Amino acid sequence: MIEVIDVTKRYGRHVILDKINFTVDKGEVLGFLGPNGAGKSTTMNIITGYISATEGQVKVDGIDMLEHPEKVKKKIGYLPEIPPLYPEMTVEEYLRFVCDIKKVSGPKREESLKQVMDTVRISDVKERLIRNLSKGYRQRIGIAQAIIGDPEVLILDEPTVGLDPNQIIEIRNLIKELGKRHTIILSSHILPEVSAICGRVLIINKGQIVAEGSPEELSQQFNYSSKILLRIKGDGEEAVKTIQGIENVVSVANQGVKEDNTVDILVESKKGVDIREQLFNAMSFANLPIYMMKPMNLTLEDIFAQVTTHEEVEK
Amino acid sequence: MIAVFNKEIRSYFTSAIGFIFMAVFLLISGIFFAFINLLQASSYFSPVLENCIFVFLLLVPVLTMRTIAGETHQKTDQLLLTSPLKVSDIVLGKYFAAVALFLLTLLITCIYPLIMSMYGNISALEIIGDYLGFILMGSSFISIGLFVSSISGNQVTSAVGTFGALLFIWLIDWVQQGLPTSLTSGVIFAGILVILLCIIIYYATKNIYAGTIVGIAGAAVMAIVYFTKKTLYEGFTAKFLGWFSLLKRYESFSMGILDVSSIIYYITFSAAFLFLTVRMIEKRRWS
Repeated sequence: MIEVIDVTKRYGRHVILDKINFTVDKGEVLGFLGPNGAGKSTTMNIITGYISATEGQVKVDGIDMLEHPEKVKKKIGYLPEIPPLYPEMTVEEYLRFVCDIKKVSGPKREESLKQVMDTVRISDVKERLIRNLSKGYRQRIGIAQAIIGDPEVLILDEPTVGLDPNQIIEIRNLIKELGKRHTIILSSHILPEVSAICGRVLIINKGQIVAEGSPEELSQQFNYSSKILLRIKGDGEEAVKTIQGIENVVSVANQGVKEDNTVDILVESKKGVDIREQLFNAMSFANLPIYMMKPMNLTLEDIFAQVTTHEEVEK
Repeated sequence: MIAVFNKEIRSYFTSAIGFIFMAVFLLISGIFFAFINLLQASSYFSPVLENCIFVFLLLVPVLTMRTIAGETHQKTDQLLLTSPLKVSDIVLGKYFAAVALFLLTLLITCIYPLIMSMYGNISALEIIGDYLGFILMGSSFISIGLFVSSISGNQVTSAVGTFGALLFIWLIDWVQQGLPTSLTSGVIFAGILVILLCIIIYYATKNIYAGTIVGIAGAAVMAIVYFTKKTLYEGFTAKFLGWFSLLKRYESFSMGILDVSSIIYYITFSAAFLFLTVRMIEKRRWS
């Protein structure tokens, strides 16, 4: 659905994007992850035609953005980082204006206006001036603006930034809902958000794609060893010794007491080896009851930190 | 285009700008009318409009300052430029909205000649000519304002820049008289223009060859003109500035002459600045 081919963006000598390549399939929800200033917004601005790439090509549905900008722009709904709202308009006036410029007319218009306002739940404020509305409402009007005209592709730049936790959950659910009918690219620097909504994640750092895959794939890809957190009743030193006797264990670390009469121990085993059964047997043999056993997979946070802080990452 | 036009008209009246523009223009033109026509019992209307030029010149920045700079500042240009609208539609919509507000205000001032016609004889055709000239010149002012708005990032620089540009245009005829008219000065000025053109081309294309080629071509043209028709350089500086003298062309209208070349001049002038505005917006997205 969206093809980004060798896109480079330079401002003078400063390289913002360096030969970015990726594709998004129809119906996919793609997450853009990266620290501030990594080039997420620039990439989105290029895909939507707000700015042009210095080199490279963007195709939406097989149509080149530079050759037929009007056709391509009709297929895209865009929510920029700052929702592009006119504070002196009422919500309804604003959405009607968006209908006008997106050339949504005829009988479809009223219907789609109503539908959009219901979807993002702003019908109750439609008579009010945008100037007087809260950040949460503005963000939702921004989304409403993007989905007017039912474009096939939605591009949402940090859609939940600046919202309170309840609103964040609401917007996430809304995006999940929209993801059923639209192809979505979403950017964020909040990881749980991306892993909750997106089927695939691109991590961008310093204008380059440093990692790609589904959230699960990414955590597997970067899992060099498996860690297990244990909570054991009994003496810590004895437990550590017992675990060290087990095959394939790389390291054992005493994490201290978190609950009375117990000790927390972090066990690291070789990659791809499941030692949970041996652990259970060994502990039970030594009469050290296991209160808790929790595999510690790498979270997206860890991966993110790895790929964005260390330049050289094995792929 | 119509969508942008409607939105702009509405925003003139939902913010105070439209009202301020109309109120100030009508108040001052009313004062002129009262002093020049009513109190002196004169039916000569041209001086009223002529005095209004300066008032309008002060007010154009108010009218145009937010047109494009406001969108850039508010980031709403992201909505417009990523919508299926053409850039030219956006610029034209904004231009015609500003012109429409200006025309509406002028329409109200038509009351003045109507009042006069109730008490004496006025020459209707002359007044219509005056108005036509004023409309054309005013529209050109607005196109300059729009252009300045497109190159400035916020409303304040836009307003100050527009005011400066218009003030310069207002002073051109006066500046012209003091300029040297010798052959050498003309050649030097033409040289400066060619160099400026080269620099502009170089910055627009980032291509050293394009800039050099334009420079060589410009130098060639200068040399040809110098050897074939030297007289062209005499007073060239003044002539060049004269091309931007919007007020000079207005004089023929206020003398009751309907000069087709002046009409075409004004329309071309507006069109050129609107074109530059479109290019400016496009260019900003490229760089």
